[in-house]
Amino acid sequence: MRNFSTWQNTSEKPKRLGNFVVMGLLILYSFIALGPLLLMVVGSFRTSSAIFTNPLGFEWPPSVQSFVKAWDQAHFSVYFLNSILVTVSSVLISTSVSVLAAYALARSRARSMRILEATFLSGLMLPIQLAIVPIFHLLDGFNMIDSLPGLILVYSAAGIPFSVFVLVAFFRQLPEDLEEASVIDGASAFRRFWSVMVPLVRPAIAAVAIFRFVPVWNDFLYPLILLRSSNHYTLPVGLASFFGQYQTDWSLLFAGLVITTLPLIILFLLASKQVIAGLTAGMGK
Amino acid sequence: MKRSRLVAGAVLLATLAPTLYTTSAHADTETTLNVWSWRPEDASAYKDIFAVYEAAHPNIKVNFQTYVATQYPQILTTGLTGKNGPDIVQTQAYGRLQPFVLGGNLVPLNGKVSGLSNIATANLGGSSGHIDGKIYGVPFATQTIQMFYNKDIFAKYNLSVPKTWANFIKNNDTLKKAGVIPMSVGAKDTFLLPLISEAFTSAVYGGPAFERDVLSGNKTFEDPLYVKAISTFADMKEYMPDNVVGVSYSDSQTLFISERAAMFPGGSFELGFFQAQNPNLKIGTFQIPPPPGSASKTGLTPTYVDGSWSLNAKSTNQAAALNLLRWMASQQFGQLFSNKLSQMSPIRGVTFINPLLAQMAANAKRYPAPYLLIADFRWAAPTGTDIMAPGLQKLFLGTTNPAQLATALQTGISTWFKPKK
Amino acid sequence: MRKAPPSGPHTRKGGVRLSRSASFYFVLPAVLIFGVFILYPMFMAFSYAFFEWHGTARGAFHGIGNFITLFTREPYKTDVPRAFSHNILIFGAEMILQNTIGLGIAYALHNLKRGKRFFQTLYTLPYLVSSIVIGYLWTLMLSSTFGPVNRLLEIIGLDKFALPWLGDPRTAIWVLILVVTWQWIGFPVLLYGAALGGVPADLEEAASIDGANRRQRFFAVTLPLIMPAVTTVSVLGFIGAMEAFALPYALGGSTGSPAGSTDVLSLVFYRVAFESGDSNGTGISSALATLLFIFIFGASVLATGIMRRREENRT
Repeated sequence: MRNFSTWQNTSEKPKRLGNFVVMGLLILYSFIALGPLLLMVVGSFRTSSAIFTNPLGFEWPPSVQSFVKAWDQAHFSVYFLNSILVTVSSVLISTSVSVLAAYALARSRARSMRILEATFLSGLMLPIQLAIVPIFHLLDGFNMIDSLPGLILVYSAAGIPFSVFVLVAFFRQLPEDLEEASVIDGASAFRRFWSVMVPLVRPAIAAVAIFRFVPVWNDFLYPLILLRSSNHYTLPVGLASFFGQYQTDWSLLFAGLVITTLPLIILFLLASKQVIAGLTAGMGK
Repeated sequence: MKRSRLVAGAVLLATLAPTLYTTSAHADTETTLNVWSWRPEDASAYKDIFAVYEAAHPNIKVNFQTYVATQYPQILTTGLTGKNGPDIVQTQAYGRLQPFVLGGNLVPLNGKVSGLSNIATANLGGSSGHIDGKIYGVPFATQTIQMFYNKDIFAKYNLSVPKTWANFIKNNDTLKKAGVIPMSVGAKDTFLLPLISEAFTSAVYGGPAFERDVLSGNKTFEDPLYVKAISTFADMKEYMPDNVVGVSYSDSQTLFISERAAMFPGGSFELGFFQAQNPNLKIGTFQIPPPPGSASKTGLTPTYVDGSWSLNAKSTNQAAALNLLRWMASQQFGQLFSNKLSQMSPIRGVTFINPLLAQMAANAKRYPAPYLLIADFRWAAPTGTDIMAPGLQKLFLGTTNPAQLATALQTGISTWFKPKK
Repeated sequence: MRKAPPSGPHTRKGGVRLSRSASFYFVLPAVLIFGVFILYPMFMAFSYAFFEWHGTARGAFHGIGNFITLFTREPYKTDVPRAFSHNILIFGAEMILQNTIGLGIAYALHNLKRGKRFFQTLYTLPYLVSSIVIGYLWTLMLSSTFGPVNRLLEIIGLDKFALPWLGDPRTAIWVLILVVTWQWIGFPVLLYGAALGGVPADLEEAASIDGANRRQRFFAVTLPLIMPAVTTVSVLGFIGAMEAFALPYALGGSTGSPAGSTDVLSLVFYRVAFESGDSNGTGISSALATLLFIFIFGASVLATGIMRRREENRT
């Protein structure tokens, strides 16, 4: 950040107090953000019976039996790989086709493109619970039930509305004269797109990717209905199996959740680095 | 750029995926039967049970799959209407079975499964089509509704199992004064409230006799006895945890398991769970004696069918599946089921080794009653439970009273219910 | 050093920067995938609403019969409008909360020298956990029997605030709104952070040299430039509020406990489709979903159009 030392010094004392208060509020909210999640992590190191008899207690020593049970008995090792495959593939596909489409939609004034944009947006509003049965029948017709590629294609398609929506907004913000230089150089549309525009919306791409990655990684409805064999299942399906009709194995569920959420945290740390790197490098050009 | 390599890699993986993950096909005569259920908590027990069948039938493999209960209706819809669906499915009872009957997704079993004659006709009601009366499944469990109590707490305060209403109230007062929560009920989650209330109300309005009267039109739900039944339940609020509407179902289970509450009104499905979570808990059960002025002189045990095992009309292994279904109507299966899951099989001749289960079943046999709302009033919208579940909660919130609730129930079901004179 | 910021309204009207054929190829992959796997099933789903259903089997064409049933027959007649009002309330509250708290946090983090990513990740954590478990965790936190929140309030002497949060129809809906905000805050914080980063530093410098204080700088310079992000967050927030399912289900069950005070339209859909005794459950629930879609679509297109036009007029 630039340092405007000359005029800033005059208002430094109240500013320092202001900073202190702000930091205090940020830290306070951190506790609120974390609170329930800590409950979850603690619960994963206890047994379900213990949780039922004493919901807020803790027993020493911590028990890792739930983690072991989730990984082995509940096949989380297999589900983990499937989740990675399905989520990475579908986010890659939906993000790449969406970046392409968003660029065209942002740069074009044609009526057809406006209609297309509205159509993409409409996909965002489709209630998932409603769509699942026709999607099932569609895949059933292609004989793609219980196939991971089928699931990947559905997720890719489902990610397009959101990705296009966010990326179009960012593309539109970029002034057209930035591409002028490369037009004069005689670059093709794709060249312009790839070399000039994409690096500039890198933060937006990272944001879109992470905010598609999370719902796909955590979604259990589509895999539950579109997959059949247990060796195709993804992590959330495994988690769903811990929910009994009347009684839930909370410790096992929490352990499964910790396993499921950890990669997301790591991914988010990496992706937000991209976003911030993009902020300080990209837009500052 | 790194990106294109990633994309290429992903595409490669995606195309390889089918080959990496295909299940190996069994070339010879081995048949795999897919059985679906909504009870994940029973998964391991069923695997053991089906292992017995597999041992006796070497070329049959039973693939038992469970699905989370909240999404099960969707799963069943897609499973039964698509290709490569399951062979045998667990179906819900009474009104919840009908969408699949009407849709033609299930095979009628009359005359095909001899074991059905080993099941009391009353217990087949939950597995039948409402309109055509045919049987579409083999009922797998009956559940009873009663009061569970903590024997140690009762002993500590010198309480005995109440045989009269006065005794029951006295027990509650003693417990309350001693600082123990007399009855553990959670009114935050509405779906079980009708069931819980039935433990109190059935004997007041007179169970089977009332059912006959309502179905024939001689009485309605606005009958003074039914209103009295509802208000009996409402009056129990003072013996329930504070802020009962804020107590969740899970909380109420915890209160009983952790011995902070002395009694728990609920279904027989709770037994196995309580005993598993706290093996030291000494549990007993009793029928709640009705107050004076009630239709019945003794407590009753409302009973209902939990669900059935049905045959998918589109199954590609009809013959083999039917054989398995026949076995699931046999005493051997019923006995394994009751032993492993501590639940009541409706098949005659099954003995319950869990003494509490045996006691509950004996009560149900001696003092039977229907779980009226789901047995007879779930055929169209609004269902009896649709109205009573939030209605009972409103009762505890104080925004409605027993007479108003009874009227609301009658008005609601009258939109589709026509008594059979 | 960046090129000069855009000046004056666009003078290049009507000219397509991208040729027609180029545009076509750019959008083609998305159109194909979306068309086959989402658009086509979407139309199929809406078609369900125009038929009468017998359980799982489709019956005769029913015109707008199902739609009429929604507004004339109980329980739909009372449940649908009430649930709709809850959705609107959630949207209104979320708009205010996400845009003030979210923007406020993003602004605070923007001016932070260190720890930006630490806080960002922390605040986004709730979003990374499945809603059903969030629901359970908050139910436990707010439980009047076991919950630490009430216990804490009692310890610091605020007993009278130790209410049965999820057991009182008056407070339950606000708990739902706050938990939704708590779960989602990471998204506006990230998006606004990215947008704030896009505000050229020299513009802020110019304004401060002109004598504008912090507050004036924010409202006159920064806010207009991040409007696209505000639009994005608002539209997505609107859609999310209208279609909320997982958290309301986790906190209030399928009936919107207590006493239907947290009932939302997607819960009504779920009940009608899977828990009602109605043999035409599929038809009626599809009609509800179709109406919901039309409402969301209409409102979003209208709002996006208005806001985009306003953006264009500013630049």
